[in-house]
Amino acid sequence: MAKIKLENVVKSFGAYQVVHGANLEIDDGEFTVFVGPSGCGKSTLLRMIAGLEDISAGTISIGGKVVNNTEPSDRGIAMVFQSYALYPHMTVRRNLSFGLEMNGNPKDDTARRVALAANILQINELMDRRPAQLSGGQRQRVAIGRAIVREPQVFLFDEPLSNLDAELRVQMRVEISKLHKQLRTTMIYVTHDQTEAMTLADKIVVLRAGHIEQVGAPLDLYDDPANQFVAGFVGSPKMNFLKAEVVEKGPGGAVVALSSDRTVRFAFSLSTEINAGASVTLGIRPEHFILPGEGDADLTVAVEVAEHLGNTSYVHARLSGETVVIEQPESRHRGDGQHLTVGVPARRVFLFDQKGNRLR
Amino acid sequence: MLSRNRAAYAFLAPYLLIFVTFWLWPIINSLLISFQNTRVNPWRFSLSANWGRLFVDPAFYNALYNTLIILVIQVPVMIALATVMAVLLNSPLLKARPLYRFAFFAPVVVGEVAYAAVFRLMFSADFGIVNKLITSVGLSPVSWFDNANAAMALVIIAITWRWAGYNAIILLAGLQSIPDDVYEAATLDKVSKFQQFVHITLPLLKPIISFCVVLSVIGTMQLFTEPFLITNRGGPGGGTETLGLLLYRQGFTSLNFGYASAIAYTIAGLAVAISLLNLVLGREKK
Repeated sequence: MAKIKLENVVKSFGAYQVVHGANLEIDDGEFTVFVGPSGCGKSTLLRMIAGLEDISAGTISIGGKVVNNTEPSDRGIAMVFQSYALYPHMTVRRNLSFGLEMNGNPKDDTARRVALAANILQINELMDRRPAQLSGGQRQRVAIGRAIVREPQVFLFDEPLSNLDAELRVQMRVEISKLHKQLRTTMIYVTHDQTEAMTLADKIVVLRAGHIEQVGAPLDLYDDPANQFVAGFVGSPKMNFLKAEVVEKGPGGAVVALSSDRTVRFAFSLSTEINAGASVTLGIRPEHFILPGEGDADLTVAVEVAEHLGNTSYVHARLSGETVVIEQPESRHRGDGQHLTVGVPARRVFLFDQKGNRLR
Repeated sequence: MLSRNRAAYAFLAPYLLIFVTFWLWPIINSLLISFQNTRVNPWRFSLSANWGRLFVDPAFYNALYNTLIILVIQVPVMIALATVMAVLLNSPLLKARPLYRFAFFAPVVVGEVAYAAVFRLMFSADFGIVNKLITSVGLSPVSWFDNANAAMALVIIAITWRWAGYNAIILLAGLQSIPDDVYEAATLDKVSKFQQFVHITLPLLKPIISFCVVLSVIGTMQLFTEPFLITNRGGPGGGTETLGLLLYRQGFTSLNFGYASAIAYTIAGLAVAISLLNLVLGREKK
């Protein structure tokens, strides 16, 4: 087990910088998820920790030791790749034992570690098969097994579930979570799927365009996003963003009205200075709308489409050109063109300035 | 349905006609000719005139020996060299990769006569650059065209120069189909570059290597150009006469088409047998 520390880590490909001075601390045994859209630098950051990419500037420490110039194999890490990266010509058993054999590990210890990994992942009956004879989920188990036999201080997962179907993804997600509880090893997991991030992580690191936007526990990010990007990225369906304007400014607060319906107003207590007439964005999650009359303001929208999932429904509606998604647990028969009025509790509304920064 | 089939065959007819006339019939006819004594007029059926002669003809054994010697030495050396070249070409450290790829492939597109002439000049006993290099390091010059072993070595060097790059390009395509992350996984497993080459690259490249070996075996069994053009029609004294050259000599110099046909079938049979052996030996264990 090991603590990981990133200090001002920069990665450039020629003149193009993809990671801009990342600072991060990951505690012993913590399950950390790097999440962000494609091209945000999350995989690059993981590969830099693994040593598969050079660092352009800054330092990376694992277990208190700077590893900038340490060979990948000497960093005490094991990695699980998105494409599994199994040796296609070797049996499952050989895939697990190959690295240890090449390093002259005693045969009985190799056999013990392989048997242990096979038991943990329940792949005993697959040991004499080759990767081509395995399903996607089985291959992923073998890839994880290959990481386990190394008995690493840190596990690195690079989008390991992306190639699996939805059902298997959920199943493997639970298994990885169980594995973490069983091994209590530091794990870093890269994904673009915020559901995976929310369900697996002790700590989520949200990245955008090579910058760390926010670091925190899943529910902290959900309840208290640092900016509009994090607010929109965490939570499914994503948060609604509505254009608004500051209509009144008082000491320590402001009243904000929706641009599309100026009768819909919310009062906020703010420590940030903001001018009357300033354009802002209101954020409200689909699941935070309540019954009309029960909130601080009511909102009437025109329903376009309703998605019924059984336990709940997502109503996609229009509000003067803006799209609003509303979760309606009781709704079953909302159709096209109908009007729907919902309540909005002010305490569930987030306020962002034009640059996307949170106003508090 | 029948009329549709007729139309299809009508469109195929020109090709089929040419195929039957210039491909199938010569193949069948040469088999028939191989059972004829073609040194008498008119030709007469004879089993021993050609097939029987094969077993007792010292010229045939000499040509077979030379061909097999080239096969046994040149094919493994060339494939090994081609594999090393392919690995180097595949290295991310290599700059101007397309230039090297072209350079390695270029010998194949050079005209045979031109390349043979250049080799004859380079290996000329008196003023060739190769002998100049050899003597400059204090060794005695080699009579490349007068010594049978040296002539054989020259043929092997020439074929290797011509075809190693071609095989390297085929092997490079195979190498590029091995995903990078397999090597990254091995690097994380602390498997050295050499171990990666032996335990990952070579096994995954085996089907492509096997394919190259089969191509080279077929090519070597038919070998004609180099001993004909470079070492003076299989010289010195038949020292580099191959089966292909013997076939040519019997067919087009002595006009003994029956014996030439029997040699042609022997070449084809040997090429098939050796290729099959290679495929059987290289087959994956289930």
